[in-house]
Amino acid sequence: MQNKINFLKMKANWVRKQVLESIMLAGKGHLGGTFSCIDILVGLYYAGILRVDPQHPRWEDRDRFVVGKGHACLAFYHIWIDLGFLDASELENFAKNKSKLGGQLNISTPGVEYNSGSLGHAVGIAAGMALAAKMNAKKYKTIFLIGDGESAEGSIWESAMFASKHKLNNLIGIIDRNRLSVTDVIEEDDGSGRLDCKFEACGWKAINIDGHCFPQILSAFDHLEQLQQPLIIIADTVKGKGVSFMENGIKWHHSIPSREEFELAKRELEREI
Amino acid sequence: MSLADMDIRDAFFQEIYNIAMKDKDVIFITADADSFVLRDYKKDFPDQFINASVAEQNMIAVAAGLALSGKKVFILALIPFVTLRCLEHIKVNICSMNLPVTIIGLGAGFGSGIDGPTHHAVDDIAIMRILPEITILNPSDSTLSASCAQIAYQSNSPVYVRLDKGKFPNLYEKDYDYSTGFKIIKPLKEVNIISTGFITKEAVKLAETLEKNNLSVGLIDLYKLKPLNREALLKCFEGAKYLITIEENSIVGGIGTIISELISDNRKAITLKRIALEDKQCFDYGTREWLDQLYGLDQETVSKIVLKELRKCQK
Repeated sequence: MQNKINFLKMKANWVRKQVLESIMLAGKGHLGGTFSCIDILVGLYYAGILRVDPQHPRWEDRDRFVVGKGHACLAFYHIWIDLGFLDASELENFAKNKSKLGGQLNISTPGVEYNSGSLGHAVGIAAGMALAAKMNAKKYKTIFLIGDGESAEGSIWESAMFASKHKLNNLIGIIDRNRLSVTDVIEEDDGSGRLDCKFEACGWKAINIDGHCFPQILSAFDHLEQLQQPLIIIADTVKGKGVSFMENGIKWHHSIPSREEFELAKRELEREI
Repeated sequence: MSLADMDIRDAFFQEIYNIAMKDKDVIFITADADSFVLRDYKKDFPDQFINASVAEQNMIAVAAGLALSGKKVFILALIPFVTLRCLEHIKVNICSMNLPVTIIGLGAGFGSGIDGPTHHAVDDIAIMRILPEITILNPSDSTLSASCAQIAYQSNSPVYVRLDKGKFPNLYEKDYDYSTGFKIIKPLKEVNIISTGFITKEAVKLAETLEKNNLSVGLIDLYKLKPLNREALLKCFEGAKYLITIEENSIVGGIGTIISELISDNRKAITLKRIALEDKQCFDYGTREWLDQLYGLDQETVSKIVLKELRKCQK
């Protein structure tokens, strides 16, 4: 188990370093909110939670992963290249003219299930996929990832009520709760917080985890077969996680590091690897 | 009951019923909107029917999720709520991924006259036609309405159908070539009227009124508003000097705009008069007939406008 955890930690830092380099090269990207969800993504893709086949990205029995916060795309691109969904050359041109890969996810890219970019849609899309699985007697699960800032979108709550009404116990949501939106702090005790209570009130099972602790990330997906209702995993995370001076810094939503900051950040990440 | 005798909505839903009976991947979702035939659908195909409650935006996303999983989805709500309210949801979740989802809007034009501007559907054509590659259908009788259900089912991409309510005089035959997108109701002349949906039955009477005033006019019913059958329409316009569009829509962005774009893009020297609703707020409550009269869409007013315009043109 410890070996597995170490492998996942190493992988996560490797993804962070790759993302940092891509953002530096392109001069564009969202470091803070990408780094906050990388441990979750690595847990899903490298610990066997998501059942996908890089050689057959449209395999009909694959688990669906619907990404609301598509601005974390660079983490996905690097993971998909590493797993074999994509060729590394696809990313060389990132954010340049004629790049096939954009700053949001597009279904023409293998691995992408839905066109991201507009917040508040992912829960309903995922609910539709989970409902289709039930209609077709398919065993795949549908997972979505949204941000806590995104959770202010009203359509999410329409979908939350729908999923519970239809007893979609094959639907699992993850909220990357890094507590920072683009311009503001999301307080736990004001109207935008208490997401667990809100989802529970909509009829979901809610659990809170540390979104940077691999044993907690992995165990959140234990006993899925016993679920009677949709599950929301509220993952406490740190925006900019992994680079000391970026952590919890609001400016790192989409700031690009200076050359000096880049070198410093890279050294910190390499130390971990 | 023969198709021609059915309510225009029920003709559409009856066809969907027949389709769903054969194709188990057809799913119907309503945002709590109802119709007579839909009750049969719900009773006979409970596994292919969902009431998404009064939550139109979620309905769009769920429809997209189902379509991404291989389903053919029809969704239903009142026009203003399924179009303007959900525009960005349709753009992102349905159109950007080119999904086979048919959006059915109920209550075209002043069909819900008494409820005021929240329920009037006089701006949806302008809004929906901005969405790239969407198909827009606006049937004017029950036979056409049933055919629109087939067109939507056969399509592998997004379709928007605006449905009126009630029984309409029969204009179409079952074996009509519905790929055309329009029908010549009265043989074309130098002066021709183009209308769509509910107002076409009024345009038929208008043509008769004009004939009594010694003005013989042609009449086209345009039901496929997008993509427009440009070539065939331009061919119809050969020999035309005057075109008059009549619609129970805003003057901004409806068939008047569509035809004006067609004429100007093809440098046609045809005089066009657009008869539609003025660009202003409407808080007048009453029957559809009364509202149409108030806003100058009744035959008497329209025939006066047309005759005056033509006199102006002939000077």
